[in-house]
Amino acid sequence: MKLSKLLFQGGTNFPGKIALMLDKNILKTVAANYEVILITGTNGKTTTTSMIYSIVKDSNKPVITNNTGANMYTGIVACFILNYSFKKSMEKKIAVIEVDEANLKFVTEYITPSIITITNLFRDQMDRYGEVYTTLRKILIGIAKVEATTLLLNGDESLFGNLNVKNDIVYYGFSTKVNDNKIVDINADAKFCTICKSPYEYNFITYNHLGDFYCTGCGYKRPDLTYSVDKIIDLNTSGSSVHINHKEYYINQPGTYNIYNALCAYSVAKLLGIKDATIEHSLKTVASSFGRQETLNIEGIEVKIILVKNPAGYDEAVNTINLDKSKINLSLLLNDNYADGKDISWIWDVNFERLTSLNINKIMISGIRMYDMAIRLKVAGFSSDSFLLCSDEEALLNEIKTCNGETVYILATYTAMINLRKFLHTKGYINKLW
Amino acid sequence: MEINICHLYPDLLNVYGDVGNILILKHRAELRGIKVNIVNVSMGDIFDAANYDIVFFGGGQDYEQAIVSPDLIKFKKTSMEEYIESGKVFLAICGGYQLLGKYYTTPDGEKLDGLGILDIYTEGGDKRFIGNTIIHNEVFDETYVGFENHSGRTYINDLLPLGKVKVGYGNNGEDGYEGCIYKNTFCTYFHGSLLSKNPELADRILTLALNNKYNEVALTSLDDSLEIKAKEFIINRETSK
Repeated sequence: MKLSKLLFQGGTNFPGKIALMLDKNILKTVAANYEVILITGTNGKTTTTSMIYSIVKDSNKPVITNNTGANMYTGIVACFILNYSFKKSMEKKIAVIEVDEANLKFVTEYITPSIITITNLFRDQMDRYGEVYTTLRKILIGIAKVEATTLLLNGDESLFGNLNVKNDIVYYGFSTKVNDNKIVDINADAKFCTICKSPYEYNFITYNHLGDFYCTGCGYKRPDLTYSVDKIIDLNTSGSSVHINHKEYYINQPGTYNIYNALCAYSVAKLLGIKDATIEHSLKTVASSFGRQETLNIEGIEVKIILVKNPAGYDEAVNTINLDKSKINLSLLLNDNYADGKDISWIWDVNFERLTSLNINKIMISGIRMYDMAIRLKVAGFSSDSFLLCSDEEALLNEIKTCNGETVYILATYTAMINLRKFLHTKGYINKLW
Repeated sequence: MEINICHLYPDLLNVYGDVGNILILKHRAELRGIKVNIVNVSMGDIFDAANYDIVFFGGGQDYEQAIVSPDLIKFKKTSMEEYIESGKVFLAICGGYQLLGKYYTTPDGEKLDGLGILDIYTEGGDKRFIGNTIIHNEVFDETYVGFENHSGRTYINDLLPLGKVKVGYGNNGEDGYEGCIYKNTFCTYFHGSLLSKNPELADRILTLALNNKYNEVALTSLDDSLEIKAKEFIINRETSK
């Protein structure tokens, strides 16, 4: 184990902070020998980064990544330092780096990536990030510093089609519908044209405000897609079978949002010249990132942990659970530490009402703001008499252990997920903490 | 009994979970056997004061607020003024609160016209006021908790505040007040959702609306133990810091 990890239990910012005190330009030096791919956007960064990393690794190219969620500037500096070698190597290595939206501009100050990809923009922790338009502005400040970088963007995201940038842009998206929905949910984000402020129309919506949009006011529409999902074969709770550019792929992580993540990873791989067979193998076998639909076995009970941090992601998790027609248990964990977002109001934008039609045995509620979550579920239509309020991880584990064999879905905000995983690690239910 | 709730611009001013207030009002009314109809009123729609018993106006982003401002003035101003002046029940939060006043200046310096129904105004500020907030209303002797997140500084002149700030910033970070009350119009910066941890305010709003319509209505009490625990948690944590 590397010293900094040992000392700081996965907090990988420390060596970066020290290094920056010694040399503020250090990123330029330590990243010099890399072809860098940056992944940013609201949702799906970690999963997409891990998919890209797996594909590049499977293609036998030398590759590094910051896969522990250290996506702030200091964490990224630390990642390059930890992988730094004083031996000069002729071969360029690839760095697949997840970067926080507001931190992109610090990284592009010192690195010109070959590709920057942006997954999507949703309302997210309004107390930290603010409005989606503000987030987009922050990202564009970072992009303006690197005009030679290729932008690989989600074409179904209407905020990305009309960018005032000099970079080459490649778009990916869906060229086929996943369901019959053409009406954008009243509570979705960015529903009004970025050019003329008219409401968008859609040929189809994939989820939230993503889809094949067009504006009847000014003619702005979804840009042409270079890489697209052109056929849906099967969607279930363990994965999806789809065609991308007329070839079949199995993505072993469920939900429409993971099809987008895989499509983004596929597109990066194509830009890097990686073979279809390698991509296919990787997407079929890539392990989920920690807390992203991670499956555990606790005393014979299947437990799935899903990280939730904003309404768009939570709704997608709800939609994925809705594919499960068997008897299930729910465990909802809500914290309000800084990394979770201190404002928990957003739970009222999540469509918990959709869960009331499922066959649910136990509802376990935990986390710092468990009473707020209980109120939300009560108003959604669940009977509060049945709520099991668990004041700590121990109480939650005891409830999970007596779940009669059915799957337990744990939906947890960031620090609730981290704390639960640490606890389960000490109990021996998780081997690898990071 | 039956009440009609008007949700103003639910497709535009909706980013802070404020829709929860409508879900909560509906939930609490239905537990008392009162039928609730929710009507969405948005861009280009005419606002008919006679149709509604409660109007809800939530918070949004500056981009969407700039779309709403001219539409309000063009299609809804006169009738909404009549609604508020006649003492019907109105709940406005954050962006909705600001737009009931004379004007709102965004942090970028854009001046958006408000409806000017309330004698209040809002200036943009550099520092955003973000955090859990606790206020006390002396008239009702009730304590409300919520989460504020705004750069606007609102000045309420002679209006009564919704409460005196115990923890947090309130309207402008200067005068110690949060929100305002004018007739049966309640304004606040509280997200949370507001009514999720303030059931007494939710019932006050329902009672006022029902009294306007049916006279002398008394609501049966509900089991608010979760709401009280959620409120006490915030009060205990925020006052022990």
